Amino acid sequence: MSGGAARDRSAAVGDELPERIIESVSAEKMKTMAALLGDPNSIHWDTDALRRLGLGERPVNQGPNNMGYVADMLADWAGGPENLRRLKVRFAGNVFAGDRLVAGGRVTAVRTSPEGQLVDCDVWLTRDGAETVLNGTATVLLAG
Amino acid sequence: MTVVPFERMQELVGRKLPGGSFELEHYRNWLTNDVLGSPQRHDDLAHPMFCYYAALGGMGLSIADLFELAHSSAEDGPMFGECDMEVHLPLRTGTTYAVRGEITDVKRKRGGAIGTFDLLTFRLEVVAPGGEVAGACTNSFIFPRQA
Repeated sequence: MSGGAARDRSAAVGDELPERIIESVSAEKMKTMAALLGDPNSIHWDTDALRRLGLGERPVNQGPNNMGYVADMLADWAGGPENLRRLKVRFAGNVFAGDRLVAGGRVTAVRTSPEGQLVDCDVWLTRDGAETVLNGTATVLLAG
Repeated sequence: MTVVPFERMQELVGRKLPGGSFELEHYRNWLTNDVLGSPQRHDDLAHPMFCYYAALGGMGLSIADLFELAHSSAEDGPMFGECDMEVHLPLRTGTTYAVRGEITDVKRKRGGAIGTFDLLTFRLEVVAPGGEVAGACTNSFIFPRQA
């Protein structure tokens, strides 16, 4: 992990973004998000429903939450949420309550713009740094 | 799981969604930051995921309505496939955004553990009070189908 790119406001192809680690995904916070989103899918909050569906005992995290961890990783690196310009992801697997997640990324291209450097990245979210549960691409602005 | 002729899904392409508005209230941003473990801010900059939350929240349909439009329901096990979020302007709390959108693509595929499924793609734009497009979200949902 190299954490210096955003601090010195420059990036180069191949730079690794500082990882963001979620030590344990919270079942309680899934309930909050289900209420905020009006999400009717009981796999996020009803353990009886999970058992009936054969999905085990642990609630399944909302996909946008998984995307949000990656957005935060990018915003932290780029100096604020206003610098995230694009995030395109594919949801590759379920995340369950209690999972440990690692959000990461790598710079794939650097372009200049009137505002500063536009940095393209590959991004991912893994369970325990191994199984990929989300991957995609992103663009952030590193203001000059 | 529902049997749905693909022609019924193809009829959806080009369908405008009702649209509407999304009020980005401070409490929503605070709770979202809390859920995601993001820092709480002391200004009005919202979490960048509000490009998605505002788009879905203001599209004029609930998620359950969207599933019904695609001839499905939560019981069929629909899944979020992809999301492409473009942020043109930072979203701010205390602002009401207009949302407009349409269904842009439907494909029927077969593969993996779920067998036959439909991939429905829709694009939503989040419009700031001044008329500028603040962001856009192109989302796809996977609807498992009986072969």
